[in-house]
Amino acid sequence: MSVFKRLKALFTGSQNEVVEDISDEQVLDQNKSDKPADLKPKQANSNTKVEKKADSSSSEKTEAKKIEVAEVEESSSKETKEEKVKDTKKENVKNTKEEKGDNMTLLNTDENKLTLADVDPDFTAVFKNAGIDSVEICFQCGTCSGGCPSGRRTPYRVRQLVRKCLMGLKNDVITDDALWMCTTCYTCQERCPREIKIVEIVKMARNIAAQNGFMADAHKATGSFVIKTGHGVPINDATMELRKRVGLDELPPTVHSFPEALEEVRKICEVTGFNDLIGFNKETGELE
Amino acid sequence: MEIAYFLGCIMNNRYPGIEKATRILFDKLDIELKDMEGASCCPAPGVFGSFDKKTWASIAARNITIAEDMGSDIMTECNGCFGSLFETNHMLKHDDEMKNEINEVLAEAGREFKGTIDVNHFAQILYNDVGLDKLGELVANPLNLNVAVHYGCHFLRPSAEIQIDNAEKPTILDELVETTGAKSIPYKDKMMCCGAGGGLRSRDIDVTASFTKEKLDNMTAAGVDAIVEVCPFCHLQFDVGQTEVNKMYGTDFSIPVFHLAQLLGLAMGLGADELTLDSHLIDAAPALAKIVEEADKSAGE
Repeated sequence: MSVFKRLKALFTGSQNEVVEDISDEQVLDQNKSDKPADLKPKQANSNTKVEKKADSSSSEKTEAKKIEVAEVEESSSKETKEEKVKDTKKENVKNTKEEKGDNMTLLNTDENKLTLADVDPDFTAVFKNAGIDSVEICFQCGTCSGGCPSGRRTPYRVRQLVRKCLMGLKNDVITDDALWMCTTCYTCQERCPREIKIVEIVKMARNIAAQNGFMADAHKATGSFVIKTGHGVPINDATMELRKRVGLDELPPTVHSFPEALEEVRKICEVTGFNDLIGFNKETGELE
Repeated sequence: MEIAYFLGCIMNNRYPGIEKATRILFDKLDIELKDMEGASCCPAPGVFGSFDKKTWASIAARNITIAEDMGSDIMTECNGCFGSLFETNHMLKHDDEMKNEINEVLAEAGREFKGTIDVNHFAQILYNDVGLDKLGELVANPLNLNVAVHYGCHFLRPSAEIQIDNAEKPTILDELVETTGAKSIPYKDKMMCCGAGGGLRSRDIDVTASFTKEKLDNMTAAGVDAIVEVCPFCHLQFDVGQTEVNKMYGTDFSIPVFHLAQLLGLAMGLGADELTLDSHLIDAAPALAKIVEEADKSAGE
């Protein structure tokens, strides 16, 4: 079977059989390549493009490697086994070399070069001052990225993010769409061997991104719902009907039933500067 | 026993059957649920926590002060609300500087955080304060269902602060679910997130759907009759999100979704009506049919 055929097989039905055949040591690889190729989310940010390319080539590599293992197990004679492995290896080396040539970021112009001018010590200080000084003891083991369910399907690389925050690469961090691909599930933080408060780092980096204007319209809208109604998900007619049907008050005993309580929430959003942050105009009662 | 009942948003404003089941359950348990009048959104951790920590903590602290005035600990049935309220309460109790900063904001709204109460999760109260035995006594209608238990993220994590159960291999929900007669079926990557949190659902729904599809694939492979969770946001994601996954991927997943309160409601003999199961986008009928069928079988024996 040629490499092309085998790769093609990956995208058709035979993928699952291959996955099931692999030995225990391959289980870690399995998660990575389980996903269909079309799961990758669309990325608007040009910064992430290079990373995405590099990522897909590396996943192809692991897939090819997996087939190699599966083949080894399938073949009955020891000699042909060895031959096949050799063949596959040769082809793989050739393949990855060509791909690498296209993706070597170091061969690109200066645009990807990092200099001291990119380092903002104040950015690092924000994390330390916020009590997340554990960022300093990260030794980049990668346990965080290894367990990250988002990293399996998006360009989000949590280990890289922690490193960039420690280095003070403010612009890199806050302009990257991937910063918003974390669901704050805490898997990274639970497993971190240094007990670094990784989710706090992610949230603080997002706070700074927001201060610099990097906010999605959908998020601003949720913020504005809270200012307008006191709820991120306000009541609607259908639910009022349901509530009445099951014998609950049509409106829950929350800010929905107590207008003066809503004023308190609004006051807080005004005092903390949240209105200004998301561009909520108090006079018009809408986002600008 | 009295509890300050924090509603939040999605439960009371989208799935009121969860609230109804809870009120009936606690009535039977002889625990008074006192309304937190004028409580607001927790606020949504994905947006407020990500945009501005100070605003997030201030709105959460305001909600906590309502319960402080009532002199009762808070109970919430939503992992997201639990995250916002527990973390804020924990932080302000341990960080005086932050407490002062937040109290300056709250003063403008005529409130003060004192740090006199605790924030608890619904499942935590059922397990620790009520107990499995007492809960089992309420089961009038044992449920012969195979269930995929979904813990969600902010119920147990960060475990260093929350300390309810082991965050990687917990049993608390499985034990609670099994008091109803249902069976908790193990499935691959059980502790994985539903994909909705952190502001992802509103910002990048294709990423969220990809998380949810992986969970649904793994649940389907285990052969379950229903999903049970303890978070209305996960509930919404498995209900509404399941139909979105079907559209995006051309799949035909149809696993009914129950909040633990609804599952306990079914076990207590409440009807689908009262639990507003008819408002779910994913039809609960197959699971309900199985319950009835099994009940008839055991009645006939």
